[in-house]
Amino acid sequence: MTEPLPDEPKHVELKAMILLVSIGILVAAFIGYVMHARGVFEPTQRLVLETDDSSGVIPGMDMTFAGFPIGRVNQVELAPDGKVRILVDVQSKDAKWLRTSSVFTLESSIVGETRLRAYTGVLTDPPLPAGETRSVLRGDATAEIPRIVATARQLLENLETMTANESDINASLANINTLTGRMNGPGGVLGGVMGGDAEARKLREALDRVNSLLDKTERRVYGKEGVMDDAQAAVRQLNTVLQDASTTLKKVDAVLVEAQAVGANARVATEDLGALRGEVDASLRKVNRLVDEINRKWPFARSNQEIKLP
Amino acid sequence: MPRTLNLTARPSLWGLAFLRYLRSWWYMVHLGAVAMVMALSPSTYNRENRLSAARYIYASTWQVLPWFALASALISLVIIRIVLVTAKSYGLSHFALEMVVRVLVLESIPLSAAMFVALRASMAFDASALGLARAGMSPQAANDEALRRLRRDMVPQLLANSFGVLSMAMVTSTIVLLLAYVNVYGLSPWGVNDYTRTVGRVFSPAVTLGFVLKTVLFGLAVALIPTAAILELQRYPRRVNFTVQPGALRLLFVLLLIEAASLALKYI
Repeated sequence: MTEPLPDEPKHVELKAMILLVSIGILVAAFIGYVMHARGVFEPTQRLVLETDDSSGVIPGMDMTFAGFPIGRVNQVELAPDGKVRILVDVQSKDAKWLRTSSVFTLESSIVGETRLRAYTGVLTDPPLPAGETRSVLRGDATAEIPRIVATARQLLENLETMTANESDINASLANINTLTGRMNGPGGVLGGVMGGDAEARKLREALDRVNSLLDKTERRVYGKEGVMDDAQAAVRQLNTVLQDASTTLKKVDAVLVEAQAVGANARVATEDLGALRGEVDASLRKVNRLVDEINRKWPFARSNQEIKLP
Repeated sequence: MPRTLNLTARPSLWGLAFLRYLRSWWYMVHLGAVAMVMALSPSTYNRENRLSAARYIYASTWQVLPWFALASALISLVIIRIVLVTAKSYGLSHFALEMVVRVLVLESIPLSAAMFVALRASMAFDASALGLARAGMSPQAANDEALRRLRRDMVPQLLANSFGVLSMAMVTSTIVLLLAYVNVYGLSPWGVNDYTRTVGRVFSPAVTLGFVLKTVLFGLAVALIPTAAILELQRYPRRVNFTVQPGALRLLFVLLLIEAASLALKYI
């Protein structure tokens, strides 16, 4: 038996045992919690995402759907064809959010971690089978920077060229300046457009002449005893002539009707003539037979005397 | 000429100094190995040793755990608030929680627990000698008696100190995790899932293994180095240097070495 320490407390062994047990429970609970937090106890299904650059993707990072984590990157590997394969464990209870039409994106911002997201547009599509391989779309803000810088530099160079002393824009502005100067001159806008005050004056004179010409034309055409008056009288005469012609034509029409009636009568008469001729023919045949009869019965028939019909 | 003269003052003795230095380390490692073997063999756990271990556990953990936990919780609360407020002002509040867990739970708390236990373990020699001297022994007799107890109780003390570091680290880590949750989400239970995922992201298998290994190594170092230093001094009484606690510098060095190695393995 050990000798007691100077200030030996009571129930030392019991207290030590309580400590040992409670710390043991705490350690076990901590390990259990960490395993739960790592998703060890959750049933998962595998999803393989393919991309061409794995930067920013680390095992353990979340895949989110609508901001909620539904899966965890388990492994990142390089396939024989040089593509990066990201193996994601999706919790089975959340696998319903992934459909065959789902789209996966990998977004890296300038500050902060890379984000792996899933988007599903049509939730009525068939669910994504386990172990499916999908390609992932990359949206990389930092990858855009060199392009943006190059474009910005080009833009600045263009701007510099444009604003240089002998640039086209400067020349155009100078031309505009001259133009507006001319516009402000005695010729006004016309002077600017025509290229000088003399030209503008000529144009004005031409306009004046055209004006006077128009005036004269109006007088001669529409004025008293102008062309238009004569034309109107001629039209009126023509109207009368046309009316006369119309009357004449009506008369001709009546004559033609008469002629038609005459024609019809002539046709009837022609038909009567036919009947008459038939009758004449029949009478002649009858007279002929009568003469022949007389000739036979006549005693001196043998003589050459014979009755001759006229 | 006394052998305790500073050896580094004469270049011809540098080799001897180096050899002595190596031998000292070897003594410590050997003692640690023997203690470990004894700690792992069932025959060590007789009634007497169990009682002794219970006493040391009581002294190194039961008595200090509440105060240590309270002090750590207060300091951690301040650090959590600072990190959260700063992160929020930069618009990076979603990184704050992860940072709090990484900095406090993984790094600060195990180190401070180890330091705390080390102070108590290093003081144990003098404290017990002082107690014996008060009981009426001559200083020499008290010293001898203390050394005898130290040698006899080495294994129970090793166990108790390791356990002390582990328990303080675990209890305080749990409190800090709870405090961080309450600070970020308030008392609402709706952040639990989100918080659990963050904790899960931080405690990847490698990090968890590193955390456990570091805590165990801290416990061993704290338990072993001061004891080994005192026993070695007892073998060579003329080397005694009274300016510092025996083994304190070496303990600090080893603790920092373990911490640096852990950081290097995790983040490099």
